[in-house]
Amino acid sequence: MSVAIVDYGSGNLHSAAKAFERAARESGHEQLIVVTSEPEKVASSERVVLPGVGAFADCRRGLDEIPGMIDALEESVRKGAKPFFGICVGMQLMAERGREYQVTPGLGWIAGEVDRITPTDPNLKIPHMGWNTLNLLKTHPLLEDIPLGPDGLHAYFVHSFELKPAQRSDLVAQADYGGPLTAIVGRDNMVGTQFHPEKSQRLGLKLIANFLKWAP
Amino acid sequence: MILFPAIDLKEGLAVRLQQGDMARATVFHRDPAAQAEAFELQGFKHLHVVDLDGAFAGKPMNVTAVERILETVGLCVQLGGGIRDMATVAGWLEKGVNRVIIGTAAVRNPALVKEAARTFPKRVAVGLDARDGKVAVQGWAETSELSALEIARRVEDAGVAAIIYTDVTRDGMLKGLNLDATIALAEAISIPVIASGGLASIDDIKALLEPRARKLEGAIAGRALYDGRLDASEALKLIRDARAAV
Repeated sequence: MSVAIVDYGSGNLHSAAKAFERAARESGHEQLIVVTSEPEKVASSERVVLPGVGAFADCRRGLDEIPGMIDALEESVRKGAKPFFGICVGMQLMAERGREYQVTPGLGWIAGEVDRITPTDPNLKIPHMGWNTLNLLKTHPLLEDIPLGPDGLHAYFVHSFELKPAQRSDLVAQADYGGPLTAIVGRDNMVGTQFHPEKSQRLGLKLIANFLKWAP
Repeated sequence: MILFPAIDLKEGLAVRLQQGDMARATVFHRDPAAQAEAFELQGFKHLHVVDLDGAFAGKPMNVTAVERILETVGLCVQLGGGIRDMATVAGWLEKGVNRVIIGTAAVRNPALVKEAARTFPKRVAVGLDARDGKVAVQGWAETSELSALEIARRVEDAGVAAIIYTDVTRDGMLKGLNLDATIALAEAISIPVIASGGLASIDDIKALLEPRARKLEGAIAGRALYDGRLDASEALKLIRDARAAV
């Protein structure tokens, strides 16, 4: 059993790998965590994690520049229905397109677009950076045993853009930042978080542990 | 053009000063490593760190905070403040600092800059902080009689990677970079120059991307990034497009 964390030049994957290793160890769902830029290793893994920081277009280009990576992801996630976890821009890439200054095609796994966040309160800064609780819209196996709502655990966000799903049924949880923000999307075997589970302490570790045992 | 987000360290906290005055410090983050990480998550690849207490004391003072930043992020870190001898230069470079910045010692002890730059090619920068044309030292508490250009010339052949030119009177004031003086310096010497002090908005980024600023290696952004005046994603996008157009 292995979990492939896709390394496509989008930032420091050290903390993501550490969080997955820790969650695997502490939850008893021991699995090999492999940080890889090789499509073959993605293809041979049981679970796939796509992290991503910075700009949508850069991340898309990073994926395109590894020959065979998009095919390996399509094969694993769409055809093979392996559990998939997108983080931050890795989650945004699941959308049909990103509108971050220019229009960039996404993977098109979730109907919808990535667009700038627009808090109603002009005093709220962009990027949205900090800790928020999550409001559940749809039960999801990844959120099992995680306290949510205003008194629940907090997730750590750093972003200026969000995925706006076209279908409300793909929206699992939102956060509030001068209005609702997409926090978690989910469809079939795919889940994605706008926040960083690897930085989100208790909530993040539990979410990752739930992912490691998830059998969609 | 490289945009360096800045973290200034005072007593273990990430602060911004105004005109270098320690009495006018605003704490922006209690955990500098988390701030560094937030910059990394926004898509920055470089980081400019200043050990403010170190600049005054003449030796590193925020060692733990810097080490935590280095452990936490994969950014190219340049560090200044209290670096006044070879042992300190070597120590930081071994710990993972990409580039050390020598400030006060470049004025008072140019031999150190030469030795450091020869020993560690491309990994030593000089910080020249000018107040009314003269270079300020010792955490900007004192002003020397030398101009930035005079000092830059002295170290020009030593293989210094960059000069970080800060207009002290503008730093933290959000009035815009002093591009004229910075470009004049860059045109007069062969070392790449980084503009610092006063970067306020996307207009500064646009000005940095104009042909007349082509000799500049980049710029440092502090307060404007912390208070949201400068949108990191917009700035990085402009820089990326300019690079792609070349």
